[in-house]
Amino acid sequence: MPREVTLKVGVGKNLKERIVEIPDNAPRPWDGSDDLKYVGKRVPRVDGRDKTSGRAKFTFDIQLPGMLHAKFLRSKYPAAVIRKIDTSKAIKYPGVKAILSVQDKLPLIVRFAGQEILAVAAETAHQAAEALKLIEVTYDVRKFVVDKDLAKEKNAPTVFNTQVEEKLTEGDLPGEHSEVTQKGNVRGPNISPKDATPEKIDAALASSFAVVEATYRTQVQTHSAMETHGVVVDWTAEDKLKCWASTQAVFAVRDELAGSFKLPKSNVRIITKHMGGGFGAKFGVGIYGVMAAKLAREAKAPVRLMLDRKEEHLCVGNRPDSVQSLKIGADNDGKLTGIKLISYGTAGTGTGAGTSGPAKNIYEYDHFYSEESDVFTNAGPGAAFRAPGHPQGAFALEQAIDELAYKLKIDPLEFRKINTPNNEIRQAQLKIAAEKSGWARRNPNPGADKGPIKRGIGIANSVWYYFYGRNFQVSTQVNNDGTVKVTNGVQDLGTGITTVIVTIAAEELGLKPSDIQVSIGDSEYGYGPASGGSVTTGGLSPAVRDSAYAAKMKMFEIAAPMLETTADKLAAADGKIFIKENPDKSLSWKQVAKKIPGDNFIAIGERKEDYHKLDIGTIHGVQIIEVAVDTETGVVKAERVYAVHDCGRPMDLLTTESQINGGIIQGISYALFEDRILDRNTGIMVNSNMEQYKIAGALDTPEIESVVLNVHYGQSSTGAIGIGEPATVATAGAVGNAIFHATGVRVRELPMTPDKVLIALEAMKGASS
Amino acid sequence: MAHSKDVKKNGPISKGVSRRGFLKGLGATSLGVAAASKSELLAKLEHAPSPNGTLLGKNAVALTLNINGKIHQVKVEPRITLAEVLRDNLGLTGTKTGCERGACGACTVIMEGATINACMTLAVDAIGQKIETIEGLESDGKLSKLQESFIENDGLQCGFCTPGIIMSSKNLLDTNPKPQLEEVKKAVSGHICRCGTYPKVFESILAAGK
Amino acid sequence: MNKFEYGIAKNIEGAFDFLKEPDSKIKAGGIDVLDLMKEGLEAPKRLVNIRSVPDLRFINKGENGELRIGATTTLAEIESSKTIKAAYPALAQAAATIATPQIRNVATIGGNLCQRPRCWYFRSEDFHCLRNGGDTCFAEDGENRFHAILGNEDDCVVVHPSGTAVALMALGARLVIAKNKEKRELALADFWVTPEDDVTKENILQHGELITEIILPKPRQNESSFYFKQQEKQSFDWPIADVAVSLKLKGKQCEDARIVLGSAAPIPWRVKAAEQVLQGKPISIKLAKQAADAAMKDAKPLSENAYKVAVFKAVIYRTICWAAGVDPFAT
Repeated sequence: MPREVTLKVGVGKNLKERIVEIPDNAPRPWDGSDDLKYVGKRVPRVDGRDKTSGRAKFTFDIQLPGMLHAKFLRSKYPAAVIRKIDTSKAIKYPGVKAILSVQDKLPLIVRFAGQEILAVAAETAHQAAEALKLIEVTYDVRKFVVDKDLAKEKNAPTVFNTQVEEKLTEGDLPGEHSEVTQKGNVRGPNISPKDATPEKIDAALASSFAVVEATYRTQVQTHSAMETHGVVVDWTAEDKLKCWASTQAVFAVRDELAGSFKLPKSNVRIITKHMGGGFGAKFGVGIYGVMAAKLAREAKAPVRLMLDRKEEHLCVGNRPDSVQSLKIGADNDGKLTGIKLISYGTAGTGTGAGTSGPAKNIYEYDHFYSEESDVFTNAGPGAAFRAPGHPQGAFALEQAIDELAYKLKIDPLEFRKINTPNNEIRQAQLKIAAEKSGWARRNPNPGADKGPIKRGIGIANSVWYYFYGRNFQVSTQVNNDGTVKVTNGVQDLGTGITTVIVTIAAEELGLKPSDIQVSIGDSEYGYGPASGGSVTTGGLSPAVRDSAYAAKMKMFEIAAPMLETTADKLAAADGKIFIKENPDKSLSWKQVAKKIPGDNFIAIGERKEDYHKLDIGTIHGVQIIEVAVDTETGVVKAERVYAVHDCGRPMDLLTTESQINGGIIQGISYALFEDRILDRNTGIMVNSNMEQYKIAGALDTPEIESVVLNVHYGQSSTGAIGIGEPATVATAGAVGNAIFHATGVRVRELPMTPDKVLIALEAMKGASS
Repeated sequence: MAHSKDVKKNGPISKGVSRRGFLKGLGATSLGVAAASKSELLAKLEHAPSPNGTLLGKNAVALTLNINGKIHQVKVEPRITLAEVLRDNLGLTGTKTGCERGACGACTVIMEGATINACMTLAVDAIGQKIETIEGLESDGKLSKLQESFIENDGLQCGFCTPGIIMSSKNLLDTNPKPQLEEVKKAVSGHICRCGTYPKVFESILAAGK
Repeated sequence: MNKFEYGIAKNIEGAFDFLKEPDSKIKAGGIDVLDLMKEGLEAPKRLVNIRSVPDLRFINKGENGELRIGATTTLAEIESSKTIKAAYPALAQAAATIATPQIRNVATIGGNLCQRPRCWYFRSEDFHCLRNGGDTCFAEDGENRFHAILGNEDDCVVVHPSGTAVALMALGARLVIAKNKEKRELALADFWVTPEDDVTKENILQHGELITEIILPKPRQNESSFYFKQQEKQSFDWPIADVAVSLKLKGKQCEDARIVLGSAAPIPWRVKAAEQVLQGKPISIKLAKQAADAAMKDAKPLSENAYKVAVFKAVIYRTICWAAGVDPFAT
């Protein structure tokens, strides 16, 4: 029987009542009137002890008796046909136990440098590497193309001769799948709105009071998680597979392995206890997972196959690049009339170079039109990467918005307010960001600083969406000694879901976080989310709470006769179960637990549909960034960041802040340093390491002040929403706008390295003289 | 196409090897003897005795290493790095490798009071040297103040770079117990944290230094 | 990494003994040689460890007021040496900005001088470039944003990677090179080999030779030095430009100047034209900028690295100013 509850919902302290219908057996959702003891506070990471002591075993660290080490042979050429492979010397090499080709029959078509050809398993990693050198591959080298602009040309070598099916992972935006045409290397355009033509938008822009138009370019960024992709596979019986995987999706890996080897799901167990980062690249089992399992079966020994840093850059995903031509207009009140985006990019041999999310979803406008295309090139496939398409899109859109604001002589922050009038959350965030950063004190004139090093301050908005998944199963086991264990199969990428689980369970059960044991990262536990699309916390947390709530109800039933009352009159807090009206009448949690019949009980919580659809379906953020631009060397330093984000009700402020910091720092790294560079003449990546592929370090880290704006929706029992992706969307755009404010020059290409900054400055000098 | 050899047809290998036996299988033993000097240890390794030095062959030699105050003996080739010995021979997997080229700092350990990249250090160069790894920071099952501070201040996310960063932090505090922010940043500038946890790493170190 | 024999020298004689194996390589800190071996670019039969030679690790004042630095002294030791910081600040600054703290704890000054270029083609097993004995310079028409703008007419366009070399050149350093019982001394400036002379090597060391010491002359009266490395990113990055300046000053008047550029050419590049601009004149921002322009007069950028000329101009004039105690940003 559903029941109705009245909740306080709204943005920050601006709350109003809302009647929400919830199931009879569900707890009243936490709302704006709840001040909770642990949830939303700063609970230290519960796996911190394991991770700071070196005890945490990542997949990378799993060592099994008799374990073999496997390595791939990869193509040296970006395009080739392999008709002959001679492994006769390698198989005789000491320690080598098995060699398997990735494809049963030749020819093997190579589409990028680094593509897998075969894998060797040997007793040591050194032996495997040495054996690879003995393998002779006969390449029929073909013409290749790694430059997306050249790839678009009529006579370009074609990467695929067949129609490519788009492969989506849990990291990609649902509904991105599109029916588009493929001609040569170009797949697209994907037009939005569907079936639209550009006439309307062109007319709207033509009659606008002010219009800006420019082309923006973004680079390919690799995920570069510290733990590389990989697995350790152990066949525990002829038809039973145990696999440690560095994955963002324990259950998807299980399904793929079960499918590949035609095993029942129950015979495949995936374990991911600790995981060294994924950022969107680690959803499937990968060719490495399948090959490791095949080698292990062949050699009858466990196999470890972890990629090395170079392979990580080449083969297992990246953020596609983009060229975005953006034209936007406004009327003389500063209201946006229309946004037109023509965008293409390359995800190498993959798909997913779309960038239209920010243009479509941040501002209110009269007209919208976008065309997006994927261009195939002979490069490693792209993969979902922290807010796919969005840092790219926001880099272009947010600079265009800025430019239009300057053109209209409207303050860029004010302009953003004017164009999001119906979004209460964004309005609140812009206000907070302005206050925190002292925006009003900012010199309105760009390039005002004297001297060669100029400081500037820029703003950008972000957008992401609320996804949460369904049917996750969380179990709370209470033992008759009072101990509590919460389990779910979900993996923790470092985002802190383990801590979130404990925090919620402790809150609900009236216990301390240290009273709760938690076990995750195992496909033999209840179904958990794949960690993509920032779904994990929003998806799983209500099931955690509902499970703990059901356990609590069970404890109340046991306690009621002991306290000579009924279960509905009881509450739990501070390790006690007591009568709400008369808190002195209480029993300790342990006293009640002793009466559990048998040994223990398990209460299940399941993720169901939200109670209602959010009024504003997007999640937001605004970042204001201060930079110093050395106008003589072109070097840009991000000095300070003010970030305001929302994620519904934050579950643990400490780990939420860490995610925001991480999103910003990755964003700065993307804005200023990172660039996958493919040699134009050979198609080989030249900086496939960690020194020339430049990732921001400690000395590149700005001061960050972040504010998490509480938004209470009452949509689920916890009201939580994810934060992983939103925090990285705005950063590059804000840096671009800050550079403009510092110098008066737009840098429209990422990464904004000295060469590009100096060229832009030079162009301005040329134009003004 | 499949190629295999010497595969025993008796199915998966037997399980239940004890940890000690397992380590032994990898050529590692823990010795209860006191640390010898580097020259004494080197002298034991002589294959071609010379007053001017020691020449080791390319095959495995027995090395005695002092790690976290414990003496270990391993048998490895001269090409094997300290990171490999720690992880593969001794099971001390707290030390990670992220790039194998000294660029990411995940493998950082302390050797004779200085931080080094274990991936760029030959194990044979570590004989007779006092090596500290992340596993040595706890005493009697109690985390050090620094480790507690990393937990308290959330100086970690995925945790893969964390042991290395903590070793650089420990070395900083050993030599400079109350560092300034700039000194902290510099001390951990040889680490890449892809999760971007740096601000809270700084806080963790500064708080532990108080 | 290939299997190798490992000679652990106890003294210099031991090192030379072990180096009798023709297919051997010297290893001090090992950062560079292990990197090359891990990439598969070097596979010597034997490595000879000289870091184990106590006699090669020292910072000593010599008889004539010069400073003698043993070849296996670490960069960390140099960066923190009070003597070096006081008398040869450019060297301390150079050592302090190399790579990471962990690497500086291991890498040696001798190794830093001998390290091979960081050109991404040269450093990759995927490319068999001229310097690796192949027949192509991949950078010339390829990805050359970090490559040479000077001295790049002859085939190979790598840049010199050692920051300490640049500082030492500006400070007028000499090297002691030993082979067996023979020792010779030469100016660091004469140590380098251009691609024109031999594209496969960077310096004159022959197999079996060893740098044993670096000698810094007694600082001249009123000598002032400064080194600056411009990086894109502040944590561990290779320079896009690095500059060392040593000035002999009388008040603000420059009596003599040495200006050396790193990351500009295949060898540390002394720019005499720029030095002449300063000669006999009081250092000002304006004069320093004229010197910087003179230094870049012969620059011939490649397809992707014209920006480096601008970066060098900035870094040169600033480093001159810093060496002279002038604020380069004064308005």
